[in-house]
Amino acid sequence: MKAWLNSMRLLAAVSSVLILGSCTEKLDSSGVCAVLCPPLGGAVQNITIDAVVLDTAVPALSGPGAETRLLLATRGDTLDARIILRFDSLPSTYREGTDTAKVITLVDSAVLRLRLDTLTIKGGIPVTIEAYDVDTTANDTSTAAVLALFRPDRLIASLTYTRSGLRDTIDYPLPNAHVLAKAQSGQRLRIGLRAVSLGISQVSFFAEESGLPTRLRFRVSADTVVAPFTITPFSKTPTDDPIARENLGDYTIFARRPPEGSPVDLQVGGIPARRSVFRFDIPSSIIDSSTIIRATLLLTQIPNPLLDPTDTVFVLPQLSLAGSAVTDPAKAAQILTGLGIDTVKVRPGDSGPVLIELANAFPAWKQLKPSETPRVIVLRSRDEGVSPLQARFYSLEAAPGLRPRLRISFTNEVPLGLP
Amino acid sequence: MLKISIAAILLLAGAVPARAQGALSVQGLGFPPGQVSTRAEGSGGSTADFDPLSSINPAAIASVGIKSLFLQYAPEFRRVTAGSGTATTTTARFPMFGAVIPMGGTWTAGFSASTFLDRSFETRSERQEVVGAPDDIVTVTERLRVLGAINDLRLAVSWAGSPKLRLGGGAHLFTGGNRLTLDQLYSDSLRNTNSTQSTLVSYTGFAGSVGVSFHPSRVIGFALSARKGGELTASSGDTARATGNIPDRISAGITYEGITGATLSGRVSRETWSSLEDLSGSAGAFDGWDFSVGAEASGPRILQRIVTLRAGARRRTLPFGFNGDEVSETAFMGGFGLPLARNRATLDFAAQRASRSASGGVDERGIILSFGLRVSP
Repeated sequence: MKAWLNSMRLLAAVSSVLILGSCTEKLDSSGVCAVLCPPLGGAVQNITIDAVVLDTAVPALSGPGAETRLLLATRGDTLDARIILRFDSLPSTYREGTDTAKVITLVDSAVLRLRLDTLTIKGGIPVTIEAYDVDTTANDTSTAAVLALFRPDRLIASLTYTRSGLRDTIDYPLPNAHVLAKAQSGQRLRIGLRAVSLGISQVSFFAEESGLPTRLRFRVSADTVVAPFTITPFSKTPTDDPIARENLGDYTIFARRPPEGSPVDLQVGGIPARRSVFRFDIPSSIIDSSTIIRATLLLTQIPNPLLDPTDTVFVLPQLSLAGSAVTDPAKAAQILTGLGIDTVKVRPGDSGPVLIELANAFPAWKQLKPSETPRVIVLRSRDEGVSPLQARFYSLEAAPGLRPRLRISFTNEVPLGLP
Repeated sequence: MLKISIAAILLLAGAVPARAQGALSVQGLGFPPGQVSTRAEGSGGSTADFDPLSSINPAAIASVGIKSLFLQYAPEFRRVTAGSGTATTTTARFPMFGAVIPMGGTWTAGFSASTFLDRSFETRSERQEVVGAPDDIVTVTERLRVLGAINDLRLAVSWAGSPKLRLGGGAHLFTGGNRLTLDQLYSDSLRNTNSTQSTLVSYTGFAGSVGVSFHPSRVIGFALSARKGGELTASSGDTARATGNIPDRISAGITYEGITGATLSGRVSRETWSSLEDLSGSAGAFDGWDFSVGAEASGPRILQRIVTLRAGARRRTLPFGFNGDEVSETAFMGGFGLPLARNRATLDFAAQRASRSASGGVDERGIILSFGLRVSP
């Protein structure tokens, strides 16, 4: 009897272990797949088609001042980029104690607090940053009119920085008297910054659009209880275009820049920044009833040796969600969403094939009717408005072998269901 | 105008003949657990036509005598050998639950839900494919997972006008579905997009069953039952994809209780699985016999309770073939029953070792444990 009880206890223990062990299913029969696995997906089909029906290069930004970085560069005959900062609303009074409208009679410690993107610095030699009074009654959106004001009688400050002095925040001193005069007279304070160097010098500062704008700081009282003024760029003109007015608080102008490419070429990046727009016509049989494994836009690069040919342009493909009512490619190139894929690194001076992966666009295209939302991909530079580098590609205007094409790898959907 | 300039159609590398679904027992629409209770399973299934807890003979429910609820859990540990490859799997099943309610002295009603065909498996295979440029070869991993079953919901009534004769009838609703998920996973996920396809195939059908149990003396009993199947429809969403018929079944059982404390039993059954041919794909469906013999005997007392010991054997043809040939199964079982709570509950246990084989050098071994609990509230 005792032996029987022990046997039952052992059986109960073994059963408990087996019950617990069987709570988790393990259904994978891979070990016998060589004989027993079902035939599943078909072979991958690879086709290359002339699916691009429209391609063009368009301005990347909605206008001057829309960039997130302000480029300050001097590169000999190739590039001369300058920065304009507008402080069109300076205070004339301040609060001290109970007096809330004390007239400003003193300006002290006036500085421009510039936020530097240190990753963009090029050139290791000292650079002198000159500040000019660029306020004018001339057409203030005219680059020529503003550039004409960078002259000796308008120079208000100058300071030389070594490479080690270019830290992430720079306090650039301004003449206190100049700021005081502007504040007392109610005039606009518009400052133009120019880089002067014996060689290549290129830096970029964060613009108002980045959320880290340059700030004008100055004290108006010797009493340290009175807080200093901190003013961000602000433009009052043009009065008839609120978007441009918002953008022109700080912006970059170019005294010299590399010549633009051929108008028939596709461009990505550069100054002013450009985007390339591609509209596709893809057989619905592929999009609707196939599983896209890979889709590659095949481009042929045109060498652009003018500026840092061995440096890198980070080309970012994005999906345009512009509806068919948006007929202007430039506007369609502003209505974008990410594809969740990495940038393609391109050296501006290179030539030959460049492959842009687009498979992630197909799930969206499968859901959207092309008659309502054209199938459009936009190539933009990751550093657009920041880097002057530009990659160029042949367009549909080029010889047949150089034109953009689309290579698609797909399988037909597997009919699942009955055994 | 679009112009397709190059159309390169590439090959399945390393393709092998493959027409099955990961194991011999899950061919076609799946594996039939048998619709027998743990108690009947312990004696090889040979008492299924007399067993009130099995969904076989509606006449048998009258023998329960007391309001009862029952539940069964039956995991299977399977090992499949094909060529030089082996695979071990674990399938957890709850193949049956139900209730039996006596209504007055002569009538009994019962409801049961049992697994008719269980189709649960997963396979994973790899192959090489050219994707993109001709020299760009990537590895494709295909993973197919199928989960689901066709279940038999039975409503039965039984009449026991005398201790010798019981009659019964049942109405069956066959329902359930298979969820199929196919993942195609490509190496180099930065450039290639994986895909997942999923679909649900639902099954609906009806059947009716009748049965009789006759005990001319105290030592011998006979039982006969039959099921007539109606149409079984497979559909995806609102679309019917194929139809077949629920297999007809006829079975007969005999028990002999002439030995004190022991019962010997035997059963034979035939089921017309070929009526599911149109739903079974290339596996093919085969009409099959099911033979079983078994014995049940009073064992030792444990804590003043008499333990019932059982043993049996069974041989049957599985419904769906492999490579066009039948798959047969031979199983040996043993188990016990333990009364609990002053006989208001019973815990049954059965262990089964099943061997399945087919042509093509594929063998399968399964160990099925079965735990059954009956309570009378």
